[in-house]
Amino acid sequence: MMTTTDVNGDAIVVPTEPSGPRAVASVRDLNVTLHARDGAVKALRGVSLDIAPGEIVALVGESGSGKSVLGASLLGLLPATARPDVTGSVTVAGHDMVRSSDKELRRVRKHLLGAVFQDPLTSLNPTMRIGRQLVERTDGLPRALKRMAEAGLPEPESRVRQFPHQLSGGLRQRVMIAMALGGDGRIDGEGPPDLPKDSAIDVSYDDEGAPRLVIADEPTTALDVSVQAQIVLLFDRIRREHGCAVLLVTHDLGVAASVADRIAVMYAGRLCEVGPAADVLAHPSHPYTKALLAARLSMDGLRTDSNPLPGDPPNPMKPLPGCAFAPRCAYAEASCSETLPEMGERPTGVGAVACFHPVTPDDAVPVTLRTAPPERPVERTTSEAPPALVLDKVSMSFASPGAGRRSMRLRLKAVQAVSLTVPARGSVALVGESGCGKTTTLRMAAGLSKPESGSATWAEGAGRPQLVFQDASSSLTPWISVLGQVEERFRHRGVPRGEQRDRAIEVLQRVGLDERAGRSRPRELSGGQRQRAVIARALASDPSLLICDEPVSALDASLVVRVLDLLEELRDQLGVALLVVTHDLAAARRIADTVAVMYLGRIVEQAPVDELFRAPKHPYTQGLIAANPTTEPGRLAPTLSGEPPSAVVELVGCPFAARCPLTVDRCRIETPRLRELDGGRHVACHLVDAQPHRGLGS
Amino acid sequence: MSRLIAGRAAGLLGVLAALTLAVFMIKAVLPADPVRASIGARATEAQVKAKKAELGYDKPLVTQYVNFVGDVVKGDLGDSLRTRRPVTKDIGRFLPATAELAFVAALLAGGLGLVLGITSARGGRIAGATRTVMLALASAPTFCLALLAILLFYRKLNWLPSAGRITRKLTPPERTRFLLVDTLLAGDFTAFVDVVKHLIMPSLCLAIGPAVAIGRVLRGSLLDVLRQDHTRTARSKGLSQRAVLVRHALRNALGPTLSMTGLQIGLLLSGVVVVELVFAWPGLGLYTTQAIQNADFPAVIGITLVMGTAYVLINAIVDVLQVVADPRLKTAGAR
Repeated sequence: MMTTTDVNGDAIVVPTEPSGPRAVASVRDLNVTLHARDGAVKALRGVSLDIAPGEIVALVGESGSGKSVLGASLLGLLPATARPDVTGSVTVAGHDMVRSSDKELRRVRKHLLGAVFQDPLTSLNPTMRIGRQLVERTDGLPRALKRMAEAGLPEPESRVRQFPHQLSGGLRQRVMIAMALGGDGRIDGEGPPDLPKDSAIDVSYDDEGAPRLVIADEPTTALDVSVQAQIVLLFDRIRREHGCAVLLVTHDLGVAASVADRIAVMYAGRLCEVGPAADVLAHPSHPYTKALLAARLSMDGLRTDSNPLPGDPPNPMKPLPGCAFAPRCAYAEASCSETLPEMGERPTGVGAVACFHPVTPDDAVPVTLRTAPPERPVERTTSEAPPALVLDKVSMSFASPGAGRRSMRLRLKAVQAVSLTVPARGSVALVGESGCGKTTTLRMAAGLSKPESGSATWAEGAGRPQLVFQDASSSLTPWISVLGQVEERFRHRGVPRGEQRDRAIEVLQRVGLDERAGRSRPRELSGGQRQRAVIARALASDPSLLICDEPVSALDASLVVRVLDLLEELRDQLGVALLVVTHDLAAARRIADTVAVMYLGRIVEQAPVDELFRAPKHPYTQGLIAANPTTEPGRLAPTLSGEPPSAVVELVGCPFAARCPLTVDRCRIETPRLRELDGGRHVACHLVDAQPHRGLGS
Repeated sequence: MSRLIAGRAAGLLGVLAALTLAVFMIKAVLPADPVRASIGARATEAQVKAKKAELGYDKPLVTQYVNFVGDVVKGDLGDSLRTRRPVTKDIGRFLPATAELAFVAALLAGGLGLVLGITSARGGRIAGATRTVMLALASAPTFCLALLAILLFYRKLNWLPSAGRITRKLTPPERTRFLLVDTLLAGDFTAFVDVVKHLIMPSLCLAIGPAVAIGRVLRGSLLDVLRQDHTRTARSKGLSQRAVLVRHALRNALGPTLSMTGLQIGLLLSGVVVVELVFAWPGLGLYTTQAIQNADFPAVIGITLVMGTAYVLINAIVDVLQVVADPRLKTAGAR
């Protein structure tokens, strides 16, 4: 144990590398090679890590860094189809997870370990009642009910009869957590070891027994921001109440910052930095950690260097002889590429870093400069050109699923009288949680579905609006080269045969793909390249409006900034307007001029981007912004309670009233209208001070 | 669920209406002359005319069809031109034998398919060998397989009888006409074993093709399901490979398998004709063959209606089972 200070200067005691019999899990010099059809992937290359009882360790890294493989190794669940080669050791509470028999591994998983995975919908068996799935783990209904209650599932007795598809995303993840907590922590009557008395972490075991270690692999990535904050809080609670350690595998330093005691950063199958969370976040000593922090979009409106993480991650099939990060590192010297850096003490004196030239806290040369965004040229928003898109009070409803005759069933009001204008060359972000109607609005904006009432109009004479989807790999045709797919668009537009190829190459170059990448099939490209290919294909149709559905939420932090910058650049150079639908407020802040916040099919607040983030007026907007994780250590994000209600019920009053901390009687009776305030802001809330109405009448 | 069943029942009526029309049209355009077939080629013009009037073949086609449907609704399919008995009675006599054979074959097809699918999804050398043998058997034409089986198990080894449903002297008192049931009701265990022995070869010959098809689909969808996230969750709970496969993966893999099973059992109904011929099985198959040879239209129409009903019923049952297997369809299906 040692003492350090956190960002506020308060002394805190943090565990360093716990070792020996104390550690609940211990990984030593672990090497894992997985075999795929096209070669061997060195997924882990000499990883050593200990986890203390009751400790939350965040394992942070981008996709392909090996963090999930480390999680699977701890569970003894490396994919058998990949014929893994393993050297080194993994022990959980003294049990060997590498060389033990299948039977022994199953016993350790059943009693000592718990697992929570990314997508709770696919991670639960869709054809088995929740109760049965839990009882398989807890060996008894009473214990299952208790765990459900602890995981924050309301009315556990009635939930056990339900199937996973009948629950919301947040509740499903709570079921997964209840299941992970189901283990009793005892093998052959052997109880849990004594907790260290000098631990900084205030933990206790409960009498029932709980698993020693929960592996949570991206547990919040598939969830809404407000629910994510609730789930992260839950992890902090379960380790306090049950004494189980948590390995929180995540790509988001913000999630790591909110609850982790220690942060371990992985890059290309190796740990590059391990240390107390506060210290790592305040003084990252590995250049990669520093760049990762810089690449993270923040909500403060300051802009990071557009490319804090240049280049791409290395090919895991051909590991470099030296430091894997050297080719992308601003600090690298020639020698870095020759020898592998070993773990050594971090410059701040706590934790460890694997770098020849670690960044010191008083390093004079910052990697990135965070600056205020450049003033946007005024002419862009006050353009004379007709708007690229006008949605005028569009509405859409669906028959709600369920029994009964179709005409008798309730209508799910997905979108209710939404009006939105995207000016020519403008950029509008539509934000909201899942189920708020943003995707239905997007479909109407793209002309894919006709509004039931209201109208959608596009700028005359321009090409059709083009769509860019979240999952680039599934929106590209797998057997046609990227170049071919772009050429196809030109062919459709009637471009002469001789020009098609040149035009296609030109468009690909505009989005940063060279001809070699263009000749590749989609699966041969990286995630970022595929998203560029999708954008290039959309541009080939010469649209006046590009509609992007969660364009960056499947991408790693380092790629997010690059794709958003690309979109902005295209807007500047080609004059294409953007409508970005996203749940990611930070991405909205980066890309949009105007942000509209949707809740239950209505726009509840709309304002110029800086206004909205500087002073959100609607309590929902305030809650959403507050729930977004920041890299401030130990800041457990204040949460919006609950989840959005179903849009089936015809609500009387404000749709947000049930979750709003400020609700007064009037909110439950009268539905607030979207009113215009100063500075082009619109808010639908009774409690926002009404400015003198300056609408048509006055 | 009840809505689904109601919907299927309505569908069944529609299919039957279409079937009667189709069969009636065939009868109307076919060059075969049922009147001649019935009274012989040497009958006089007057005799033919009289017979035509008696059978109603002298009326306009539309009237004939309306009368025909009316009779079918009343359960009157007319008299067989060959046996001179009411078709419904004939079918009542021959259907149980066929139904028993088809039912046992369908059970075997499902059971073998299930075993084949699960073992081959688990992999290993034995599973591979079983698959190869089954595939080889399934690729042989049914009649060929039946003849080979008779040569081996009757002629060479004399383990199993080659013809009929039961040894004549053991025939139990007639109750349900399903011999497996009747022998048990009579408490005659020797007769029951005899019936089972008679069933083995014909039902296996019928079942093997469908079993391989079902097994292949099941294997494919099991492997798909085993790649899904929730089986990883099941493993993370410490369940054994077998529990993961049987408790978690199997039900999720049933959807495509059930569809295939429905189609295969439908096809099996037409395979019955050949198998009954080879094994001299006194069922609808033999009756059908003879009816077609004699242009016995009332009989052909009756058989077509029965087979059509069975086919639609089987697939309706499959649809209901799909919903039972996958609770998500309950809400989606109602849309």
